[in-house]
Amino acid sequence: MRTETEEKYSQVDKNDGIIVLQDVTKKFGKNVVLDNINLSVEKGKTTVVIGPSGCGKTVLIKHLIVLLRPSSGRVYFKAQRIDNLEDNQLHKLRMHYGFLFQGGALFDSLTVAENIMFPIKRYYKTTKASGLEELVNSKLAMVGLDGFQNYYPAQLSGGQRKRVALARAIALNPEVILYDEPTTGLDPIRSDIINELILKLQKGLGLTSVAVTHDMTSAYKIADRIIMLHHGKIIADGNADYIRNHSDAVVQRFINGRVGDEELEVLRIGGAINHLKLQPRNFT
Amino acid sequence: MIAEFGDRVIADMEKTGQFARFIRRTMVVSMASCFRPAMYPLIWTQMYIIGVQSVLVVMITGAFVGMTLAIQAYDQLAFMGLEERLGVLINISGVKELGPVLAAVMLAGRVGGALTAELGTMKVTEQIEAVKSMGTDPMRYLVAPRVLACLLLTPILIIYADLMCSLGGYFVSVYYLHINSQPYWEYSASGVELWDLSIGIVKGFFFGAAIAAISCYKGFTCKEGAHGVGRACTEAFVASFISILAIDFALVVIFKAVYNTLWPLRSLL
Repeated sequence: MRTETEEKYSQVDKNDGIIVLQDVTKKFGKNVVLDNINLSVEKGKTTVVIGPSGCGKTVLIKHLIVLLRPSSGRVYFKAQRIDNLEDNQLHKLRMHYGFLFQGGALFDSLTVAENIMFPIKRYYKTTKASGLEELVNSKLAMVGLDGFQNYYPAQLSGGQRKRVALARAIALNPEVILYDEPTTGLDPIRSDIINELILKLQKGLGLTSVAVTHDMTSAYKIADRIIMLHHGKIIADGNADYIRNHSDAVVQRFINGRVGDEELEVLRIGGAINHLKLQPRNFT
Repeated sequence: MIAEFGDRVIADMEKTGQFARFIRRTMVVSMASCFRPAMYPLIWTQMYIIGVQSVLVVMITGAFVGMTLAIQAYDQLAFMGLEERLGVLINISGVKELGPVLAAVMLAGRVGGALTAELGTMKVTEQIEAVKSMGTDPMRYLVAPRVLACLLLTPILIIYADLMCSLGGYFVSVYYLHINSQPYWEYSASGVELWDLSIGIVKGFFFGAAIAAISCYKGFTCKEGAHGVGRACTEAFVASFISILAIDFALVVIFKAVYNTLWPLRSLL
């Protein structure tokens, strides 16, 4: 039986958003990770995809930029089909995107400044007079890291690396920015700094943002729209209040961080705990 | 059991196909990179890392090959009263076989291991996908400079190994085994032809390309985690080593046929 959300998007049109996924299925071998996903990403808004670990969030976000190609279905960017483009055509298209990877994915052998220059040099002819250094400085200032130009990624903390990666992602002034677990591995304060930056970029530059996360504090703060993915399907779609009050038990358990009876059964937490009856080793 | 065997065969065939596509793409992007001046700084950087930083280990390898050959072969030749021809044996073995093969094996360990570890780490930390997401072909940006640097510099490193093999053999023969220096060099010069030297150097191009292509492929297909990177490095070295031996055998057969056919004709020119 189709869910309410599946019904809503079963006829998603390529003109419905800046990025549209139409009937997208992704399989790795026999494992179906995305199951007939229909999704339109609205221009200028922040869409957050939530869901448990391993539900296909990262696979979904990589389809939006065609880092992964669907097993079946179509992906559109500004109503142009992009999942079937050749690699060199995709390289041109990707200048409209910025991507913040989960671990930052900064190039270890390059300095902070060189990391930010990387996409700029790829797409533009640069000379000493072209103001590249000023541009790098301004991007670093936006994320509060001006003065770190000559540092290497290994010399930065986790939060600083994410901020440099964010500066690199916005280096080309993209129309769409994709965040893969932007706050994972950061303490609450550093997470909030990243959330504030995402909001600042969305409001200040009018970017279209898509973030995948399982951090509900972050999702509620940055999202105009939240989508929940479960077993490769979209099971909930709406604003923060809609998700908070959703009637589905799976959604409620996820957003409130409560483990379900099924999972408990798998873990056998209710069962008897057997202790080892062994003699301790005698270290002499 | 039959189904399991079939699945394994299919999986192996898929891997072979994947490797063949990687090699084809590597050849295309490497050829294209030769005509793109923007790629030259990347190639230079790799030449320094792969070539310049390997000179010392390759020279040490070559020197020990020459010295060991001298000690090993001396008794047999002395028994026949031919010890002054020790230089021919050392230099021919060195420049045709042992110098190129052992220098290539050393490079497979030093350079191949480093390439696989670097690219493997980039793969598991999503840096390769980051390159792609910023509109750059990772094959062109990461693989082509490494393959070209390895391809161009392995023959030069083999020349260093040959030189040190020759000098190492000379020092042990003359100063330790007390063979006369003049006949040592005279016999060496008359026994070693330009052909012998050339085939050792030509082998270097093939060995260099094989080491770089295999190591980059293993890095690109590395599995997640420290164990994945470690395993990829081991597999890269083993595969490179076997490839070096197999390529060496194939080239020896080809060169021998070419030599027997064409080399005698040189006197006509």
